[in-house]
Amino acid sequence: MEKRTLIIYTVITLMGFIFAVMSGYSQEDVINVEDSAFEKKMRPAVPFLHDKHNETAGIDECNTCHHVYEDGKENEYDSSEDQECSECHTINKGDNSMSLVKIYHLQCKGCHQKKKAGPIMCSECHPR
Amino acid sequence: MHDIYNFVSGPLVWVSFIIFFGGSLYRLISMAVLARKKDVFVYEYMSLKFGLRSILHWIIPFGTVKWRKNPLFTIVTFTFHICIIFIPIFLSAHIILWKESWGISWWYISDTAADVLAIVVIASCIFFLVRRIVLPEVKYLTSISDYVILAIVAAPFITGFWTYHQWPGFKVMGIIHIVAGEIMLAAIPFTRLIHMIFFPFTRGYMGSEFGAIRHAKDW
Repeated sequence: MEKRTLIIYTVITLMGFIFAVMSGYSQEDVINVEDSAFEKKMRPAVPFLHDKHNETAGIDECNTCHHVYEDGKENEYDSSEDQECSECHTINKGDNSMSLVKIYHLQCKGCHQKKKAGPIMCSECHPR
Repeated sequence: MHDIYNFVSGPLVWVSFIIFFGGSLYRLISMAVLARKKDVFVYEYMSLKFGLRSILHWIIPFGTVKWRKNPLFTIVTFTFHICIIFIPIFLSAHIILWKESWGISWWYISDTAADVLAIVVIASCIFFLVRRIVLPEVKYLTSISDYVILAIVAAPFITGFWTYHQWPGFKVMGIIHIVAGEIMLAAIPFTRLIHMIFFPFTRGYMGSEFGAIRHAKDW
């Protein structure tokens, strides 16, 4: 290999590395939507860009999603971002009736359907 | 995409189920009326005992001479028929949709199991297609509608498999999958897929005539 070609290749590779590292820092980490109450997962967890989502959706208040209900009424002044959904939406052990899946689906898909924006089909959220 | 998805997974589901149940009921009643008008002996000869005896033999794999003479066909056709009823009812992805809409749910199979069974169904459809083309006695009795019916039955499974594996165009394929299922349901009453509803009566009558009149087995 010629010396010049070698230098060009090295520079391109280095630039690629720098680009990859920089873009990694500039982007929000992808967090999977997980809940310790899911004993076995039927589908892969849903990757979720929290800040990007809220920016796109125009959500400012935490409790728009992380809601708190007391005696069946929503408490507008409280929020639950430090909790897992399953802490309130409890399911009995061995309950395979997809109750927890349903509340997660309603929270995401339900809102997307209301707003006519965002993913609603299985494969749009659950990657292979 | 939202509007299309909501339409095919909402009103169209109702339409297809109404056509399926209403159409099947209509076909049953009109066939009963026709038989009363044209062939009263159907009612004379119909016997619960001989009818059930015949049905029992025919729904057991290798329970009849025909099943024993064509072992490969027998295995494929039984597996195929069990799978096409079993998969859609016990698929987790379908059950979560029932759960979301109506709050009902039941036992479901793993996605891996469903995947394997879907391949079995698709392979069976290819087997039926090849059989129609290759075997002269089957080819002789085959018309275009047979291929159309086969395509209607295969489509939900091919598109479902495609969507699940997220192959290119899987979002559109998901929509096509839902529509394909609805077409299949709606097609049952008005194509020869009606054998799903008619078989207890056709087989039952055959068994009755053979059993009570000819004193012979029809298996």
